[in-house]
Amino acid sequence: MSLVELKDVIKRYGQHTVLNGVSLTVEKGEIIAIIGRSGSGKSTMLRCVNGLEPIQGGSVSFDGTVVNDPATDLRKLRQHVGIVFQSFNLFPHLSVEKNITLAPKVVKGIAPQEARSLAEAVLRKVGLGEKIDSYPDQLSGGQQQRVAIARSLAMSPQLMLFDEITSALDPELVGEVLKVLEEMARDGMTMMLVTHEIGFARKVADRVVFMHEGKIWEQGAAAQTLAAPGTPELETFLSAVLH
Amino acid sequence: MIRELSYIDVLYMIAATRWTLALTAIAFLGGGIVGLLIALLRVSSFAPLRWMGGFYVLVVQGTPLLAWLFVFFFGLSIFGITVSPWIAAAASYSIYAGAFLGEIWRGCLQAIPRTQWEAGASLGLGFTQQLRYIIVPQALRLAIPPTVGFLVQLIKNTSLAAVIGFIELTREGQLTTATTFRPFTVYLIVAAIYFSLCFPLTQWSRWLERRLHVAR
Repeated sequence: MSLVELKDVIKRYGQHTVLNGVSLTVEKGEIIAIIGRSGSGKSTMLRCVNGLEPIQGGSVSFDGTVVNDPATDLRKLRQHVGIVFQSFNLFPHLSVEKNITLAPKVVKGIAPQEARSLAEAVLRKVGLGEKIDSYPDQLSGGQQQRVAIARSLAMSPQLMLFDEITSALDPELVGEVLKVLEEMARDGMTMMLVTHEIGFARKVADRVVFMHEGKIWEQGAAAQTLAAPGTPELETFLSAVLH
Repeated sequence: MIRELSYIDVLYMIAATRWTLALTAIAFLGGGIVGLLIALLRVSSFAPLRWMGGFYVLVVQGTPLLAWLFVFFFGLSIFGITVSPWIAAAASYSIYAGAFLGEIWRGCLQAIPRTQWEAGASLGLGFTQQLRYIIVPQALRLAIPPTVGFLVQLIKNTSLAAVIGFIELTREGQLTTATTFRPFTVYLIVAAIYFSLCFPLTQWSRWLERRLHVAR
């Protein structure tokens, strides 16, 4: 059984169809890069996986649980699926430590002393051990995004979703965030990432999924698909992004 | 019988201020409870609850406080229910303040970006947990200046309770005028007492607002 299974997913906003029959499976340990123009439905698809977007047709399942089933406890599901957003979405009123330990304490009920060492451990993973007592507005964009990643990691998820996490960063800060992703990839984390960093996708992803007009237009092994696109749409997209 | 205005009259007015303060406290407490409920209804994800909250605010903001005082104090006695002035005032002011505080606090809750709720939800927090740990602490900071501002309005509006028999500051002034026939001086004193209550609050509210802007 695949870890993630999307079957003929339909997502509409009023009259506008954003996802028009999307099917995709992700295996445990796989790293999927999702590329495509803005408005092609990449972010929406990602947000369907943890149930942030309700869908109008088809099905989404994670580890055998049907995400779009109204009976599914999304709170439980989301403990196993981390997501990192383009705009970080850290809690500005809480210190880095409290940002990270809020959910483990409130949702999982871990003890306060344990929480502090958990925060230390995940911050070390993203190279920010010394920032544990800072507040989000004292950090650079790249550091904030790494804290957001650490916050997700603290829940020990089985799957991580990344929604254009470097798009809001100054160019010189992109590298430090991508480095963290590479390390997570080496640790065997299953990841789905929407990205505009084609070079990174080629290097780290196992598979590339190209979305176009609400559909998965083309997908395949990363290096191969990016080197030799099978459709004119992907070819056009790549030449636009790479130049 | 007309007599001279003396210091005793001023002391009476200052003493009557305790009813103004008591009414304000009751109104703020009752209004706070009602307002919290209304604010929560208004941000609920369940539409009928939002409509209920909206309807309440619409009705209360569209009717004068004086009318509510009359309804509770005089209106209910038609049905044989005797209501003490305290109960009538507590009910009327809670209804009135609840609508305004509810709207103020709804605005503060909604000023917190949608993405903050989303980040909480994505970490497995439920609606009340998101509200309690993420939204309310941030909204609270925004809410303090306008809430204090409304408190100032409330202090001044307690004078309406005179119509159902409260001898608070304004009413005491009226009574003093009737015996001394010095309306100008008396009402200046009344105004000065109100001002001395409201001015520190207004300043505090300004200060809070400034501090909030610096902190952001």
